[in-house]
Amino acid sequence: MKLYLALILLLPLLGGAVNALAGRKLPRRLCEVLACGVVWGAFGSALLAFLAYRGAEQVTLASWLADFDFAAPLELYLDPLSLTMILMITFVCGLIHVYAVGYMAEDPNYVRFFALLNIFVFAMLVLVLAANLPLLYLGWEGVGFCSYALIGFWYREPRNATAGRKAFITTRIGDTAFGIGIVWCFLLFHTESISQINQMGFLMPGSVITALGLLFLAGAMGKSAQVPLMVWLPDAMAGPTPVSALIHAATMVTAGVYLLARMQPLFGLSSIVMAAIAVTGAATAFYGASCAVAQRDLKRVLAYSTISQIGYMMLGVGAGAVTAATFHLLVHAFFKALLFLGAGCVIAAMHHEQDIFRMGGLRRRLPATFWPFLAGALCLAGVPLTGGFFSKDAILGAVWAKGGGLYGCLYLVGLLTALITSFYTFRMLYLVFGGEPTGASHEEAAEQGHTGPVPRVMEVMLVPLALLALAGVVLNVPEYLGEGWLGRFLAPLAAGRGSRLASGTELLLQGIAAFACLVGFAAAHLRYGGARRQDRLVAAAAPPTGLTAFLLHGWYVDNLYRFLLIRPYEFLAGLLWRRVDEGVIDDSLDRLAAGFGKVGQGLGRWNCGRVSVYILSFAAGMALIIGYLAWMVL
Amino acid sequence: MIVPLAHILILAGILFVLGLICVVVWRMNLIMLLIGIEIMLNAAMLAFVGGASRWGMADGQVFALLIMAMTSAEVSLALAMVVYLHRRKKTVAADEFNELKD
Repeated sequence: MKLYLALILLLPLLGGAVNALAGRKLPRRLCEVLACGVVWGAFGSALLAFLAYRGAEQVTLASWLADFDFAAPLELYLDPLSLTMILMITFVCGLIHVYAVGYMAEDPNYVRFFALLNIFVFAMLVLVLAANLPLLYLGWEGVGFCSYALIGFWYREPRNATAGRKAFITTRIGDTAFGIGIVWCFLLFHTESISQINQMGFLMPGSVITALGLLFLAGAMGKSAQVPLMVWLPDAMAGPTPVSALIHAATMVTAGVYLLARMQPLFGLSSIVMAAIAVTGAATAFYGASCAVAQRDLKRVLAYSTISQIGYMMLGVGAGAVTAATFHLLVHAFFKALLFLGAGCVIAAMHHEQDIFRMGGLRRRLPATFWPFLAGALCLAGVPLTGGFFSKDAILGAVWAKGGGLYGCLYLVGLLTALITSFYTFRMLYLVFGGEPTGASHEEAAEQGHTGPVPRVMEVMLVPLALLALAGVVLNVPEYLGEGWLGRFLAPLAAGRGSRLASGTELLLQGIAAFACLVGFAAAHLRYGGARRQDRLVAAAAPPTGLTAFLLHGWYVDNLYRFLLIRPYEFLAGLLWRRVDEGVIDDSLDRLAAGFGKVGQGLGRWNCGRVSVYILSFAAGMALIIGYLAWMVL
Repeated sequence: MIVPLAHILILAGILFVLGLICVVVWRMNLIMLLIGIEIMLNAAMLAFVGGASRWGMADGQVFALLIMAMTSAEVSLALAMVVYLHRRKKTVAADEFNELKD
């Protein structure tokens, strides 16, 4: 087991290191094969670890930080949760890597790209496998750094570099809270081991657990783009599409959910923390879905839908249903990776046109993209019998089962979000794939005889993801059909199951969810289907107003933050720089120096070499001394 | 002691001030400068001697002898220098000799 776990970590690290250090000297094909090979190798190791798995295991690789009673060794913890996570991460990342070979085929900076991609995977695996909080934090910061470098990958354009910085700084706000939480954990428990901390939670008063939980929640908010730290994720679309898929589907944004799921035994002790997590999740789910409705950029639609779906996972964790949250996490990883990769194919085919109102009719032009994309969209919309339907319903069911006024409201919010999700998903489908080809750029492309080449390897990667997304239900069939595999597998996690529901209630809830999905579909069909589509295209040509503009700009949260935080900061910085630093500190020193210089020059003129002047000075000095003495005596 | 110390000190002070005035007024003339300095030294010597006799200690007289030796040496050197300087610049005006300035 130790060998497998070491390989899982070391292979991506090796790939990243070799590509970073020697990639320029190697032939291009070798770089690509290496980058993909190491991730698939990690997947193979994860598979072997899965087959050899008998029970939760702790493996120490080496010692790392150790000082008096503080210890944070390089220790890996393999339990059902981390095992499912590493399987998912290595598999989805493997597909994304292969896809990236096609996507980046014309980019000269492929070495940097693949090196960062591999290190990204490595950091995420460290995060997932870490047995103690400092090691987890190492991976946590690793994905933060890699996301910064990858979002701003095309850094020559200032917009992209700014997006990278924004992601870095925004997540860093959460990370600071998380860091404080880690240090406090050591002060409280005298250990950093996650499993020990989880077992020792009952020793602490509830208020301490609550405060600790809120700190960790703030960290998760930053990393998982939850309200109010969600502003970076839509801008993160500036990176190459495989990076978007990597961040959104398999790695970074799920880290917050994973962290809270991991610490569930501890935070489950505080109902306030659980409620805070659930409220955050529900608010984010609604926020993301509402914003996605108005977006025009294909990738931004998907970005807001990610925010929304991560919100669902948080809601699941907040309801105490780690299994449901993990289930949704897995299925979401499959279908969101699928959607992003599909969007990458569409964008590549459209010659980097991202406005969905300028697409259309791609159903027939890109069938190999359309069918997998449709599968992913159906999952996202939660169409009954797809994986996405069951995973989302598992969360909603868990929230319902939790009962009480608060969770009842959250259930309603979740249901409303499901409706909106269905609506915007089908809106996207109708606009991109439905109707007839329109839009200037499309016609230009059509005149050139084709809609642009989509490398074969990119479309092939969609197929396994589509199958997994659709068949995601086999991971965890609902209780009334027999116990789900994932539920049984995650059973050792204490308190991870949430409350149980009677089969009848669950069926009823699923019926309601299915109905919500159908309502969303019907609304989208009425608005964007058939002949109405043309009206919408005409209407979309005008600048957005009112509610549309409000949603298009993400509730103007960016502007709000700019007004509340950035403006005062800039003002203060300007004041400190111009007035205090340059005006007071620099100026006073300059003047002091100039004054000394002048005094020195004045005194220097005294040194004229004329004896008469010296004698007079001498006499004057003596008179002064005598005067002083006389004054002292008398 | 017949003459009180105060009188001696007053005389010494007057002498010193006279010397100082001589120095300050004729500061352009090297010879007058030296004369003024000699008078000031004499005033100091007088004060020393007066003090020595007032307290019955020999220190002041010893010091007066020392000053005498010092002034004789100084004057012989200084006069030699004045002669030399006069030979160089055909003047004894003090301000002409300012080459040490730089």
